[in-house]
Amino acid sequence: MSLLLSRAAERLYWAARYLERAEDTARLVRAYTEVIVDLPTTVTTSWAPLLAVVGGEQAFSAAHGRSDAGERRVIQFLLAEDSNPGSVAHCVRFARDNLRTTREVLPREAWQVVNDLFLYVSAEAGAGAARSARSRFCDRVVGEVQHLDGILSSTWSRDEAYELWRLGEALERADMTTRVLGVRAASLLAARSGAEHGDHAEVQWMGVLRSLSALQMYQRATRAPIESAEVVRFLLSHRAFPRSVAYCVARLRASLGALPHVERTLPALEELEALVAAVADAGRGDADGVALDADMDRIQLRLHALDATVADAFFAVGAAGPR
Amino acid sequence: MPEVQTLAGFWDELRHADGAPRPAAEELVRQLSGLSLAELRARQALAELDIVTMGITFTVYSQGNGVDRAWPFDVIPRVIAAEEWRRVEQGLVQRLRALNAFIDDLYNDQRVIAAGVFPAELLKESANYRPECRGVRPRFGVWAHVCGSDLVRDRDGTLYVLEDNLRVPSGVSYMLENRAITKRAFADLFARQSILPVDACTDELKRVLTSLASPEAAEPTVVVLTPGIYNSAYFEHSYLAQRMGAALVEGADLMVGEDDCVYMRTIGGPAKVDVIYRRVDDSFLDPEVFRPDSQLGVAGLMRAWRSGNVAIANAPGAGVADDKVVYAWAPELIRFYLGEEPLLANVPTYRCVYPDERRYVLDHLRELVMKPANESGGHGLVVGDCASRSELDECAARIEAEPRNWVAQPILSLSVAPTLTGRGIESRHVDLRPFVLSGAGHYVTAGGLTRVALREGSLVVNSSQGGGSKDTWVVE
Repeated sequence: MSLLLSRAAERLYWAARYLERAEDTARLVRAYTEVIVDLPTTVTTSWAPLLAVVGGEQAFSAAHGRSDAGERRVIQFLLAEDSNPGSVAHCVRFARDNLRTTREVLPREAWQVVNDLFLYVSAEAGAGAARSARSRFCDRVVGEVQHLDGILSSTWSRDEAYELWRLGEALERADMTTRVLGVRAASLLAARSGAEHGDHAEVQWMGVLRSLSALQMYQRATRAPIESAEVVRFLLSHRAFPRSVAYCVARLRASLGALPHVERTLPALEELEALVAAVADAGRGDADGVALDADMDRIQLRLHALDATVADAFFAVGAAGPR
Repeated sequence: MPEVQTLAGFWDELRHADGAPRPAAEELVRQLSGLSLAELRARQALAELDIVTMGITFTVYSQGNGVDRAWPFDVIPRVIAAEEWRRVEQGLVQRLRALNAFIDDLYNDQRVIAAGVFPAELLKESANYRPECRGVRPRFGVWAHVCGSDLVRDRDGTLYVLEDNLRVPSGVSYMLENRAITKRAFADLFARQSILPVDACTDELKRVLTSLASPEAAEPTVVVLTPGIYNSAYFEHSYLAQRMGAALVEGADLMVGEDDCVYMRTIGGPAKVDVIYRRVDDSFLDPEVFRPDSQLGVAGLMRAWRSGNVAIANAPGAGVADDKVVYAWAPELIRFYLGEEPLLANVPTYRCVYPDERRYVLDHLRELVMKPANESGGHGLVVGDCASRSELDECAARIEAEPRNWVAQPILSLSVAPTLTGRGIESRHVDLRPFVLSGAGHYVTAGGLTRVALREGSLVVNSSQGGGSKDTWVVE
């Protein structure tokens, strides 16, 4: 019989999700900025796609009304704005709050790292929006979350708490990968025929890979030029790459298998696995971006359903924590 | 040692009046003599850095906001000779045997009242007496499993018990952390002399708690019940849970089933709990029985406890003996229940509930410390030679209005110990809180938490009001 409190489990799961979200958002902002910087200034660029990836369009217009999504405002929104539940600042704060009350379950050093990151982000996120400081800020956020991962990997016993952490992390990561595929890749595919972006397609696809730290591994795996169908296939199905959807789903299976109530969580997992396989088989790389976008939406819905199942199986017995 | 500013007329814990070190403190004083003030300050700074890094905090509340403060610590330890300590240990164990017998008696036969030793009307007006505990017989007859008895030393060297804290006494974790920090600051001294270790304390606590479970439980589940992160001693709750390998739970994590057993909400489902080390006050413990608005407790917990399905340490209702008025009866309780003379002295205490003693108090306010029965943390105290005329008048009025609630004691000349201040090493007043664990047997911590009043001339040692602490060495 397990002795991990439901309340602690919920806080760990969500801390992992928030930190993954913070890391992925920082990575995304960094990569997108690099793409824009690489493009000639004659090309008109929009920062709206960034908002679309994180699903922040509604929150942004709620916060800023009809003002246009200019670079400064969007970056500020994504890095520092507390009213945006997806901002790096917000995510790090929530993760830290969650860990404050579950410290005895994690390796001791883990709290130190998260708390230090929180203090850094609190102080620097606002300034980090400026282009000159941005990559240093994003590097730090990504680096510290990876630092934390190192501590967890090497000193945390593979117990239920650990598996719940990896569960939340994998779910969030899969979600982010599908978002990038859904919005960025889809819009690139859709615009492929248009002359405007055609000349810079490779740069933009590199940006897609970079936003998931996938460029180097893509090149090692495919030994082919950067091309839409291959990129989509890699990010969706390349099991060896730790940020691919397929890898994350395999991680979900491993974690759920190590936790109680498997009979309750398995059905939702199997539905997700089936959908991912079906989408991979359909080979969307060549088809129009609209279908790819729709497929990614469907995967996100299955991820959401799995999240609800997890909450029902493990957290419902206990009191609510921050979500 | 760098020039020490001493205070004449007070007992110095480390040195005789002529400046020569007390035998048990010789090694420490020798080491300190070899250090310049700068070097000592450097060790203090390292200790403070340790405290921040290790996250040793306590929380102070003002204007509704809680601030986590780093634990205030002075690096110069306080020393006690082991021979003296052994006598103190015996005195404390004797005292706890009597206090536990008293609590058990009050909730059962009340022989002590029938025998005319303890006045019935005091019980009626006692804020901490819980009628809901009548008829309960906890294992071993022990209600106060953890007690922090505060000791002070007067000018002539006599150690007195100042008060017994046995509701939810705190300080064990800080005592353990003080030792960990001091071992780093004065590592060589630990090799050169025999300083009794304190580390076994959490193992002993675990052993006591486990022993309270009903015999059927093969591997009893022990939990630490905390009010949560907003409690000033949360650090300690978390620390003790970790050291004992016990789950740290809040009220919302527990529930009482239809079988009157207590369960934890785990991801695997409800898991039975056998022993609860609770750091939640009685009045918040069970909304079914005590304060119905409490979010910190568990509905039905008293039901579970009364039926013997769960053990609670300290037991509900134990606070009846944590009362400055009951304190005054301690010597008589020792005689009544044990047939022994007290080994450790009580401070002479005037009980305002008695007209003649009340009269004496009102006539000698300036020479006494007036204490309200149920406040904790040093609040509500009126120190006669420091208070203003209007404060004394107000105190007199409150005594007349509620005499049962007040006791008074002579102002003690609390002993001092060398402490590092902004100006150098100066004497500051100290007290001592050892912890007594009671179960099948008894265990007393080797030394305990020495608290020091950091402000010059102050006698108030509580951390919430400007106090700090030192490591305590019991030296053979």
